[in-house]
Amino acid sequence: MSREVLEELRKAIMTYDCEGAEKWAREAVQRKVDPLKALDAMTVAIRQIGDGFGKGELWLPDLVGAAAAMTAATPIIEEELKRVGATRESLGTVVIGTVFGDIHTIGKTMVATLLTAGGFAVNDLGINVTAESFVEGITAHNADILAMSALMTTTAPEQRKVIETLKREGLRDQVKIMVGGGAITQEFADSIGANGYDPTAPGAVRLARRLMGK
Amino acid sequence: MTIKGFTRKFRPLEILTEEEVEAIHRGTLEVLWVTGVRMEHERALKLLEGNGCKVDYDEMRVRIPQGLVEECLRKTPSSFHAPARDSKNSLMIGGNTLCLAVAPGQQTVDLDTWEPRPATRKENYEGVTILDALPTVHFFSPYTPYFGFEHVPPCMAMLESLAARIRNSTKFQCVGFSNDSEIFAIKMAQAVGIEILGTCAIAPPLSFYRDAVESAFRFAEAGLPLRIISGQVMGGTAPATIAGGVVINNAEVIAGLVLVQLINPGTRVLIKDFSASVNMRSGAPAFGGIEICLHNAASNQIFQRYGIPLDNTTAYPNAKMPDYQSSYEKAFRVLTAGLSGANTLLYHGSVHGELTHHPIQAILDDDSAGMVGRFMGGIAVNDETLAIDVIEEVGPIPGHFLDKAHTRKWWKLEQFLPKAADRLTYPEWMNTGKKTCLDYARERMEEILATHKPTPLTHGQEEDVERVLEEARKYYKERGLITEEEMATYRKSIQSPNYPYE
Repeated sequence: MSREVLEELRKAIMTYDCEGAEKWAREAVQRKVDPLKALDAMTVAIRQIGDGFGKGELWLPDLVGAAAAMTAATPIIEEELKRVGATRESLGTVVIGTVFGDIHTIGKTMVATLLTAGGFAVNDLGINVTAESFVEGITAHNADILAMSALMTTTAPEQRKVIETLKREGLRDQVKIMVGGGAITQEFADSIGANGYDPTAPGAVRLARRLMGK
Repeated sequence: MTIKGFTRKFRPLEILTEEEVEAIHRGTLEVLWVTGVRMEHERALKLLEGNGCKVDYDEMRVRIPQGLVEECLRKTPSSFHAPARDSKNSLMIGGNTLCLAVAPGQQTVDLDTWEPRPATRKENYEGVTILDALPTVHFFSPYTPYFGFEHVPPCMAMLESLAARIRNSTKFQCVGFSNDSEIFAIKMAQAVGIEILGTCAIAPPLSFYRDAVESAFRFAEAGLPLRIISGQVMGGTAPATIAGGVVINNAEVIAGLVLVQLINPGTRVLIKDFSASVNMRSGAPAFGGIEICLHNAASNQIFQRYGIPLDNTTAYPNAKMPDYQSSYEKAFRVLTAGLSGANTLLYHGSVHGELTHHPIQAILDDDSAGMVGRFMGGIAVNDETLAIDVIEEVGPIPGHFLDKAHTRKWWKLEQFLPKAADRLTYPEWMNTGKKTCLDYARERMEEILATHKPTPLTHGQEEDVERVLEEARKYYKERGLITEEEMATYRKSIQSPNYPYE
């Protein structure tokens, strides 16, 4: 019974099926499937997709499609987790977004997906995220890592502003900060006091593991 | 006035049937009315509503009726005068003419490693000088040659770029917009007594952010021409199909065009089809793809039907240095643009995507641009060029044409002579150090820097440029867009004895 639900959930993500993922997540809750097992099934699926992408067998639309299916199912399972009082094991909690003034989404979404596949609990705040929204997100999710993207030389300084805001709010030491995007370099990352930078999405996952000491 | 740019002497390449053009036009009208666009600007929404559009203020969504679209397409000039600081460089943009411009890069490249690094102030100014000297650079696009240069805070990059181009070039200039920079760009142009082309860039899919709309208002109200750009990436911010990409791109730029024609009817407009496709491995735009040429060719055909000037996707290569890949990526773009009726194309100097630019690349591009210009010039067919009399005079071997006056008169008109190409014989090539086009381009760069002196501004104009720059510096400092630390470095750099040139 529970095995069928878990298999369908896994399959929905492997076939980029948002409706299916949502349906089988609800089914899992209704049939009292252990929510931790449901999350595991989904993580196994997204990891498989991530591996396929890494090997060059799958492409970006596959990665993003699977991430969308995962996003459709996750809140339903997380609500159940909260209800039964269980906590999710993860390598760490990440809050991610593209900074204010910048509306580039693809690179940030790739990193978010691969981080999820890599075992992190990821909260994607989207694009055009203000410093204040980052602060709210970090507090609300009790984040371990803040990941920021900026694709334009004109919006890169916004990353500095976010870090300064965190300092003012006394939150800087609570999170490790990683930055990326087309306009960012290692020198820039160092100059604004970020904890790490990587130019690629798979590299960002390695960086996040390192920042968490894992 | 002679027409600058390359004039196409034959019918443009048509890759769509009439029915297909009509289907795309109807699809565009349907998207504009049924889906509409999001425009984050209350004044724009009110203006559109007052002219018959359906506006949802909560969603900032505007739906544009067919009648208004077609009326605004008719109101847009079919070509326009683009006056340069020196009138001999002024352009008429539109019709069967292709004008080429500079393709920008965020940074320069190191000539030994081809790795990117920030440009210095001197490199930026010298870059402008070289581009001013190249005959196939007909005008300058925004942020050229570099998006910024050392010690300049990001919010000042566009204005410092414009100042460098006004100082070191007499060609027609274009600007973008960022944090109100267009206010100062317009002031600088008016102070110097020139016109500049502004920009309204749409964020695909179907979204206009406030600053883009504000820029449209500022330029249209100042009576200046505007580029309306949509930078879609097929498969990411537009459908993966080329036909779908053309429809949504058309809807986006036409929504911008309607707005501009309502702000100030008759405003001179250059539409830019800035499509690319997604590199499905990295998520970055695959700028070198041939499918972009198909998208551009379709848009060119549609805008010829509308009678409105069109710019094509900037010729950014995916290659990292001038090599075989870079050459075909650039050459296909400029050739298909020219053949299918593009009116402008940003071409010269981009090394990799919009990330890097180098004058050596621009010098190589000057040659390939010249070749395309020559091709567009077509073949002269008349009694003299048919050469029947000369053929009769020469007859069979041992006759030849090399000593004929006809040859002396015509060969230089028929052949295009590239300046940096290797055209030596094997023995000559081996005996002169096996030089490549890159070596010749470097020599030409050094020669231009030694000999080309851009016409300087008058003392009064120079003071005006500096006054506007200083006003902008204060404006951004007061608004916190320049930190104390940035300002100190910036101030120090502009106190150099050779400011503004290095």
